[in-house]
Amino acid sequence: MTVSLAETIHERVRHIETMPAIPAVFLPLLKLLSSSGQDARVDEVVRLVSYDNTIAAQCLRVASSPLFGLEKSPKSIKGAVLTLGLRRVETILLTCCLGQAFPAKKWVLDPAVFWRHSLGCAMVCRKFSEKLAVADGEKAYMAGLLHDIGFMVNCLVFPEEFAKAMKRARGEEIPLDEAEQSTMGFTHCETGQALAEKWGLANDVIEVIAHHHAIEKSQKARPLVALVHLSDLLCRMRGLGYGYYERRMVDLIADPAWPILLQEHRDLEGVDLVRFTFELDEAVGAIHALVAMVFGSAPART
Amino acid sequence: MTIITQPAAVPVTPNKGAEPVDPVYRQIRDLVYKVSGIYKAEEKLYLLADGCTRRMKQLGARTPRDYWDQLTAQPSRDGELRQLLNEITIGETCLFRSQPQLDALRKVILPEIVGEKNKQITKRLRIWSAGCSTGEESYTLAMNMLEERDRLLQGWTLEILATDLNDRSIETAKAGIYGDYALRNTTDYFKRKYFSILDERKLQVSAEVKKLITFSRLNLQDDSRMLFMKGIDLVFCCNVLIYFDGVSKAKVINHFFSNLNFGGYFFLGTSESLMRLNDQFHLIHFPGTIAYWKPSLKSGKL
Repeated sequence: MTVSLAETIHERVRHIETMPAIPAVFLPLLKLLSSSGQDARVDEVVRLVSYDNTIAAQCLRVASSPLFGLEKSPKSIKGAVLTLGLRRVETILLTCCLGQAFPAKKWVLDPAVFWRHSLGCAMVCRKFSEKLAVADGEKAYMAGLLHDIGFMVNCLVFPEEFAKAMKRARGEEIPLDEAEQSTMGFTHCETGQALAEKWGLANDVIEVIAHHHAIEKSQKARPLVALVHLSDLLCRMRGLGYGYYERRMVDLIADPAWPILLQEHRDLEGVDLVRFTFELDEAVGAIHALVAMVFGSAPART
Repeated sequence: MTIITQPAAVPVTPNKGAEPVDPVYRQIRDLVYKVSGIYKAEEKLYLLADGCTRRMKQLGARTPRDYWDQLTAQPSRDGELRQLLNEITIGETCLFRSQPQLDALRKVILPEIVGEKNKQITKRLRIWSAGCSTGEESYTLAMNMLEERDRLLQGWTLEILATDLNDRSIETAKAGIYGDYALRNTTDYFKRKYFSILDERKLQVSAEVKKLITFSRLNLQDDSRMLFMKGIDLVFCCNVLIYFDGVSKAKVINHFFSNLNFGGYFFLGTSESLMRLNDQFHLIHFPGTIAYWKPSLKSGKL
């Protein structure tokens, strides 16, 4: 990418006046999620959410999705925190906020498809983390959920160019990032990174957004980038991609990301990938249901 | 404060309106997977439960728990597991059983193999349907190859070897006569193009399709005959190995590995896993399906 192109992207992203419909609690929540130390944060989260009844109500409903492990909706945010743990409630809140963050008319790709992919990737990241005994599975969830936010930026500031890339990807059945690169000269990784920096996301999450398609460029947080990269590929191979057939095959174990993850987590060797794949299939129904619940208000592409 | 973390979320798709599945069925599901490699996903658990119920009636077992005891503790457990496997795979035989497999074959694998082999003098594609039963899979493969005859496979010699242990199945297969149930996934396009009407309720596969296939009797455990199967590009062996014990299964899989050309692929049933019985094959994900790959010489991954 040329210097001037990089400047154009940053210039245009700077002028997105905070995502138009973004809930007020979103950015403070992101800050909380990026900070460490759990003490005294429960009250802070509860206080933040109390400003936004819609988000609070939605969060309680989402907590009862089979994907989050509760059978009944908790009665209050505090109750949800007690049963699910603070980190998980925070990621649920983040999910709900994102659902409202984007103006419905601006979508170039089908929002339901995009959210299923993002949420699917988040779930797979978390499930992988559980198998590998990664300390912070919710961080992995967050990274998975946000890894493709560059597509939202593309829709907002490069709608025509991105529509061409989408058309090409669909027509030639090639990966969307390849089509972006050949049509626009850059990808959602660069635009996502620009937004992530503007939002002040944690460095490791920025790293994921910037390099999940080119792990060799990643300098920091490489195991997390590897985890998201592999989860992303798996989702795209199991019906949680971008809504079209990608004419490709994926050898996860031969992927450059695999040894990076393996070096950090020896447990990876023992993971039964086929069963893991079948288990992901089981979650697809629940992911569809959740997307309809959280993101359902966004109408299909206009 | 103490943060209570929830155990790993188990995705449970509500089984449309039916009563919740007895947890014993999940135990049975895991046992079936461990022994046979067949994985009944959560939303298909009712199929497993139905199969168990039919077996329970036969055996006079009153509760799923009683049946679990028969499956695990009784001296007859191996036989009973076999009966259960029969029950849960019985309805699966039909033409065009797995569209994702056929898509992977036509959109991804064939272009690759053709590209590779076009440099060779003999352009021959050999597919082996191992455990072809009554022929549904073999004819499906043959019709799909014929569809490519004027495109990718122009000037190629096509061969489908279809083998089974059971003489009666082979006779039925050779006749190529199918009713509505076996044809439930077959589109009108294929019905018109490759079948003739036998009577009101039955269609017969045309001579053009039959010509591609050689049906013969073969015991996959007959080592000397297995050694003679050579130069195979693709092996399909769906829901056959599930009946073999671990040692025999590993032996058959090793045979398949030698039977295959470098760069060839091995497909199992859609919910079937090779488990960890062979570490030479690479697990490959295609959109919606998985296969096992014998690395090509030039890939340097052997």
